Amino acid sequence: MSTLDLIGVSKSYGITEILTSIDISLASGEFLVLLGASGCGKSTILNIIAGLLSPTSGEIRIDGKRINEVHPKNRDIAMVFQSYALYPNLTVERNIGFGLEMRGVGKAERQAAIVKVARILKIDGLLDRKPAQLSGGQRQRVAIGRALVREPKIFLFDEPLSNLDAKLRMEMRAELKRLHRMLGTTVVYVTHDQIEAMTLATRIAVMREGQIEQIGTPEEIYNRPATAFVAEFVGAPPMNMIDATLDADGLQLEGSGQRIGLPGKRGRSRQVILGLRPEDLHIADASDELVIGATVDFAEPTGPDIIVFARHGGNPLVASLPSHLQIDPESQTRFSFSIENMHIFDRATGQRIEP
Amino acid sequence: MVPLLLVMLSVIGWPFIDTVRLSFTDARLVGAGGDFVGAANYQRIFASTAFWRAFFVTTEFAVVSVFVEVVLGVLVALLLYQNFRGRNILRALLILPWALPTVVNALLWRLIYNPEYGALNAMLVQTGLLDDYRSWLGDPNSALVALIIADAWKNFPLVALISLAALHAVPHDIKAAAVVDGANALSRFRYVILPYLVGPLMVALILRTIEAFKVFDIIWVMTRGGPANSTRTLSILVYQEAFSFQRAGSGASLALIVTLAVTMLAVAYAALIRKSAGARF
Repeated sequence: MSTLDLIGVSKSYGITEILTSIDISLASGEFLVLLGASGCGKSTILNIIAGLLSPTSGEIRIDGKRINEVHPKNRDIAMVFQSYALYPNLTVERNIGFGLEMRGVGKAERQAAIVKVARILKIDGLLDRKPAQLSGGQRQRVAIGRALVREPKIFLFDEPLSNLDAKLRMEMRAELKRLHRMLGTTVVYVTHDQIEAMTLATRIAVMREGQIEQIGTPEEIYNRPATAFVAEFVGAPPMNMIDATLDADGLQLEGSGQRIGLPGKRGRSRQVILGLRPEDLHIADASDELVIGATVDFAEPTGPDIIVFARHGGNPLVASLPSHLQIDPESQTRFSFSIENMHIFDRATGQRIEP
Repeated sequence: MVPLLLVMLSVIGWPFIDTVRLSFTDARLVGAGGDFVGAANYQRIFASTAFWRAFFVTTEFAVVSVFVEVVLGVLVALLLYQNFRGRNILRALLILPWALPTVVNALLWRLIYNPEYGALNAMLVQTGLLDDYRSWLGDPNSALVALIIADAWKNFPLVALISLAALHAVPHDIKAAAVVDGANALSRFRYVILPYLVGPLMVALILRTIEAFKVFDIIWVMTRGGPANSTRTLSILVYQEAFSFQRAGSGASLALIVTLAVTMLAVAYAALIRKSAGARF
């Protein structure tokens, strides 16, 4: 159980800046997910925490102690890699125990720790196999076992589930959540999969081009995205983004010219983006005040929901509706939404605005 | 397929069959003769001290030079795998000795070993390690070692290049995992790097051993098998028997014995590779 702090951490290669002044402060037992598209610098942060890369500037602290100059093996950190990174010539048993072996832990003690971890991960029947004889899911368990057995201060996961098929990924996700509950160790987890981020994290840091766009609980990230980028990146299908002008009385949508009245008064008018999540759109009835009209292109039933693809003033509009509704192509449909589900972002800066 | 087979049979099959036939005769290179003598050639060869001496010289040459090449090759590969300024230039330079024709390399080393103006003598005398110039290739005690050094210098780049390619095949994540797991440099080499190196090294080892066992040109240019036959390998012996002494019959028998030995080596190595490939991953 340890705290982790990154203070003003930057990394650049020559003039190419990979990370720009990253500040993260994790309480003991937190599960932080670094979420972002590939190339956004999230794995670089992980490698810097592990000590495999050194930051160009800034400080890394574990339990308040600066560890910039500490060798990776002395940081008491365990890392799980996307490729599993198992030693192909060693058995599962030795793979799991390798870290202990290298640290000079006695054979009997090592053996006990390996067996204990193997039981937790349900791989105790595979201990004498080589990695090549294992399935993807089993290899992933061994890789996690190798991290668990050392009882480290901090776990680092680098896209650990992205090589698994959808069903296994869901299983392992649940397993990871269970393990984190059981062990309570601080975790930093890198992924580009927002479902993983939403389900596993106690906090998510959404990253873009070497910077943290927003850091917050999954609910904050989802319900109150700080920027248009976060709003669009998190959520599937993605949030509808409609260009609009915000003035004293409300919003005027571009394309259709439709007006949406808002309570209260504002100053000068500004260019904004109106964000509406597909699941926050409903079929409007006569009494609804906040309404947006659209022409349906087609609808995709997904089982529990029906995803409606429509056009509003030339802009695409996607709505996620209950599957019992009958939606016909080319029909004119009016979607309603509530004021608390509206997200408004400044078009120039992308920052969230409270209307 | 059929035309190809015919060509193959005529350029490889027929000479081979004719060599086998010759090896059971007392044929001479020119003139009459060529009567069937049964296994007499073979009996004489296996009873001769010259054959066994050449066999041991060949084995010593092959084992020592290949050992030096592998050790030197792996060490140089590990060095050139590190990230430093000028690495690419050094990597390019590495190929140079290997790219030299064997005869050029042999002449080069003959100059270096020259008893009157050789660079080796000059260096050793000027640094005070040696009192007087020596004839490295003229002394039966040093000639073979001198040859091995010249051969190893030419051929270690092949091993180094193969090792370097193998090193680049080691996944980055596994190396990183070993660092995080707390393995020191030696353990990382032993548990992470070496398993990836063994397979390619085996191939290099086979190639080099077979080549070294058949060695002829470098020795022919540098010592012609001398002094006092101290560097006479089997191939030199075959040449002398067949061409210097013009005994085509026993020359053919000797050549077949060398061929058989090399084939046995290749088969043994191939079995070893299969075994180690199965055991490693």
